[in-house]
Parts: sequence; C-alpha cells; structure tokens
Amino acid sequence: MKLEEIRRKIDKIDRELLVLLQERMGLALRTKKFKGSVSDPQREAELLARAERMNLDLVERSFTRQLLKTIIEESKRLQEEDRKLVAFQGEHGAYGEVAARSLVPSGAYIPCLEFIDVFKGVEESIIDLGVVPVENSLEGAVTQVNDLLTTTSLKVIGEAKVPVSHCLLATEVTDYREIRVVYSHPQALAQCRGFLMRNKLEPRPFYDTAGAAKMLARENPKAAAAIASSLSAELYDLEIIKEGIEDGPSNTTRFLLLSREPYTNDGDKTSIIFATAHEAGRLFSVLRLFAEANINLTRIASMPLRSDPNNYCFFLDFEGNEQNEKVASVLQQMEDLTISMKNLGSYPMDQIPS
Amino acid sequence: MKNLKLASLETAKQTVVNVAGVKIGQDLAVIAGPCSVESEAQTLETAHAVKAAGADMLRGGAFKPRTSPYAFQGLGMGGLKILAKARQETGLPIVTEVIDPRDVSWVAEFADILQIGTRNMQNFSLLKEVGRAGKPVLLKRGMHSTLEEWLNCAEYILSEGNPDVILCERGIRTFEKYTRNTLDLSAVPAIKEMTHLPIIIDPTHSTGRLSLIAPMSLAAVAAGADGLLVEVHCNPQMAMCDADQALTPDMFTNMMQRLRPLRSFMDQLPLK
Repeated sequence: MKLEEIRRKIDKIDRELLVLLQERMGLALRTKKFKGSVSDPQREAELLARAERMNLDLVERSFTRQLLKTIIEESKRLQEEDRKLVAFQGEHGAYGEVAARSLVPSGAYIPCLEFIDVFKGVEESIIDLGVVPVENSLEGAVTQVNDLLTTTSLKVIGEAKVPVSHCLLATEVTDYREIRVVYSHPQALAQCRGFLMRNKLEPRPFYDTAGAAKMLARENPKAAAAIASSLSAELYDLEIIKEGIEDGPSNTTRFLLLSREPYTNDGDKTSIIFATAHEAGRLFSVLRLFAEANINLTRIASMPLRSDPNNYCFFLDFEGNEQNEKVASVLQQMEDLTISMKNLGSYPMDQIPS
Repeated sequence: MKNLKLASLETAKQTVVNVAGVKIGQDLAVIAGPCSVESEAQTLETAHAVKAAGADMLRGGAFKPRTSPYAFQGLGMGGLKILAKARQETGLPIVTEVIDPRDVSWVAEFADILQIGTRNMQNFSLLKEVGRAGKPVLLKRGMHSTLEEWLNCAEYILSEGNPDVILCERGIRTFEKYTRNTLDLSAVPAIKEMTHLPIIIDPTHSTGRLSLIAPMSLAAVAAGADGLLVEVHCNPQMAMCDADQALTPDMFTNMMQRLRPLRSFMDQLPLK
C-alpha cells in the first residue's frame, strides 16, 4: 500500500468512528427516559470491564479505559443538558431531520426505522416529540402517516414546509468524471432522472436518501455517488458536487410536529379528520359549514378507511384556532353531520410559501 | 460553401440566441469578467462590478487551456460552483470554457453558454459533444483559421442538433508583434454575408494591450458586431493570468458609457 492509500483508509475509519459516536450519544440520551438519574455506576463499571476483557495488542487497556471514560463523561454531560428528544423516520440527514431541526432548533434528533416507531415512541413517552411528513407537493399524501394520524392519540403542535433540494454527493477523493452509479431512494432518483441521463449516470435504488449518503461515507465504493440533502453532506463529510439537481421546480414536503400535549399558545391553523355516512350530500353539508363561516381550507384529502375499505375519511386543514368562536361553532355543528370526528389540534402555520 | 447546410446565410433567418432574456443577435450583448475564476471573493467582486457597469453576462474560466502545463490550470469543478454562486447573486448568466469532452455534460449543468476556445476550434470530438449538450455554444475563431474553416466548425455543432451557436472573433496570427494578435474586424461584415449566426468580438485577446481595448470595442460596434467578450478583473495586478490586459472595473464602466450610446446612434442611421 502506498502512503496515500493508507491515509485514505485512516480517513475512512475516522469518519466511521465519528458517525458511530454520534449514534452512541443518541442512544445514551434515550436511556435517560428509563432510568432515574443520569449516573449509573454499576452500568459504567460493567462497560469498562467488558472492554478490558478484549485483548488488543495495539489498543492498550489503560488507553481503552481512558477513552471509554471520556465518552461516558461526554454522554452524561449531554444527558444533563436536558435536550428534547425529537424522533424522525430515516437515517441521520433525512429530510425528516431537516424538518426536525427547523421545528425544534436545539433538540436531540433520533432516527427511527419506521413511521410507526415515531408515533409509538412519543405515545409511550420514551421520546418527547415526533416529526412526520404528511404530504409532498409533487407526490401527494404520505399514506402511511395519514393512516397513523387517524388512530393516534397525539396532537399536532407545529408544521414545517421543507423544500426538497437534492444534492449529488460523493466522498472527497471521488473524481466526478469517474462517477458511474448513483445511490438513493427511488423517489429521489425519479425526481433527478433528467440530470442522471444527461450525465450518463446509472440510478441504483437504496432504502433511504440519507442512508445512501451514510453508506457512501462508510464504504466508499468506487465510481459511486449519492443523492441526498445538503445536511447529509455535513453529517457524513461528503462533497456536494451539485446542488438542486431535481428536474422540476423544487418540491416541498410538509411535516407535522407531534406531541402528547396540545399546543398551548394561539395557533392559527387547525387539522381535523372526519368520516361521514355514505349518503348523498353528506360531505357537501360539512364543507358548506366552512364556506358559510368564511373559513379558508388549506388542505382537503380523502383516504379509504382501513377498517371499512368502502368508506372514506377526510383530512381537513383550515385557517383559524379551534378556540375561536366561529371555528368552535363549525366544529360543534360537525358532530351531528359526521360518523367520526377527530381534532388533531391548532398550531402555528408555517408561513414559508410552498 | 456548399458544405454549410445549416450555417450558411441562405439556410435560415438571423439566429437570435436567447439566454435568460439576453438576445444575442438582436441586442448588443456584453459579456465581461475575469480570465480565470481564482477565488470566490475575486469572482463575486468582479461580477458585481461588471453588473453595475451594465454587462449582460459574466465570463470566467474554470478549466484553462494554458500554453505551459505548469501554468495555473484553473479551479475546475470548484470554479464552476463559484460561478454558479455569482449567477445566483447577480443574476448574470454564465459563459465558461470547456476543454475536455468528458467535462461537457458537467460544465453544462453549471453554465448558460459553453465556450470553445481558439485552440479547440477544430477539436471535432469536443464540437460534437457540445452540439449535444443542450446549451448555447460560443465558438471562438481558431487563431490560424479561415472564415470558411470556422463556419465548418459551427456546422459540426449545428449538425448535432444545437441551433444556438455564437461566433467570436478573437484575433489571428500575423507578422505584427506590437499587438498580441491582429483583430480581424473585417470578419464582422464578412461573416454577416456568409451566415445567419451572430458574431461577437473579443477585444482583449486580439489586441493584448489595455489601451487598444476600448477603441477596438467601439470599432466593433460600428462594424455591426452583436456583442463583446471582454476581460475585467477587480484587481488586475493580482490576476493569475492575463494580468496586463484585463480592464479595471472603472475602465470597463467608462467604456460601457460610450458603447451603448454608439450602438443607439448606429441603430438610428438609415439603412443603406
């Protein structure tokens, strides 16, 4: 191996160490919800003893002990900080994390495998807040999330419209001229199809955009790049070859911030879900209430009911607070016109034009 | 001339290349900026200065074809990103040179006009590649080339399906040593007799002398050129190439104040 090659491997390992450390800190923060105090001497002793059982000739036991102690101290310091745990679906760097960072600026962002893990984590109080995508300006409703919203006990306390700006990312040592394959989520690959074709790049579907960036940073496959957010580039130390490579005008995804407690201040937007009986004019009679009260609807979507596929529930977002007299009166009248009705809560509207 | 199936005058009306509202072939298009993108600060400062002086587009080299392999070769991809930022800040479309067929699709992702330099005028594989890139091409005249050879090179680009070719006269080699090259101003009316493609003038590389840039620019406008490609640097003494022939922003502003009125005056003259 030449010096340059050896150094490349060292760089790769350093990057991996830091990515793993980030994951470890996130997990440590989550343990706090289960234990009474931050410090747990028995657990710390076990941890150090286990590491010392490993016989690594180049990593001496005294060094291991010192290193782990430093890590434990730092994770205890983080736990003392009392950051809000904010769950999102996907790997670190996912657009869900971009939304979480803008909604809760100084939180600890916890990646989850599935949307249901975000809902469950918050419902079971092992996570403080959750961020989920509800609709995309190009692709429409995120059905899994909308479905989970119909059954959850959580309240919506905020929203964020995140512009989906895809970046072509590669490791620092990759020459753009050598790139042949591009890894990303199929939806991101589809949104950048023109760019990939113009530059003769082969799309390779991957489970997640940020996951593709993470894989690139950790494995550094030859002639490969990934499509993900610019946040992913920062988190995994990747080079942005080109920003905004999507074909159409940039699309936005609308995310909701979920909490066990409703929003206490004066929200100016409200989300409800309802179902009506399968009779002529039922939906119309509900919508007429809003029209007559001069309330502006910002979203109306329908989805088949899982429990009764022949029937639909409707998602309605509108301007105004549930406490407002006009709004309260409409909601009151809706009780008689619907067979089920759920108020997700009032929250501040994201003013960024989508 | 019978080989010019697409470039010759009889085959089409006057070509107008529309780049973000700048109509080359109709209005006087002034493209200004540094020889090379050296840094973000230098490029942005120059871009704002030429914009303030009334330039229509920004030029700047990220890939430089240099006489010596040891001379500064340009910032490459990093330079393209800086140009993209300059466009974002000033709104000026970007003209930048491409020298390698492997880079064409990538440069096209950043640039509004792809420039083919004088040394690459007859690089036929490069010409075919830019013909397929979907972006307008600024084709400089080879320093040893006849007008007909030049138009045949334009034909290469046109025949790949790209109708947006802008010709740029940048001086030819003669025995005169006072100037860097000899600006062939007669090429302007001659080209207008031969083809429907727009032609602009590069007064910088053709003369290689600061004092001659403004007079030859005015002469080009009087001769009917469709635009100018001129080097401007925010601090010419510090430039990494062509330091002694780049205009300062002040000199460029002064020249622009004379160019536009001259063009207006020319437009008012009765047609012959």
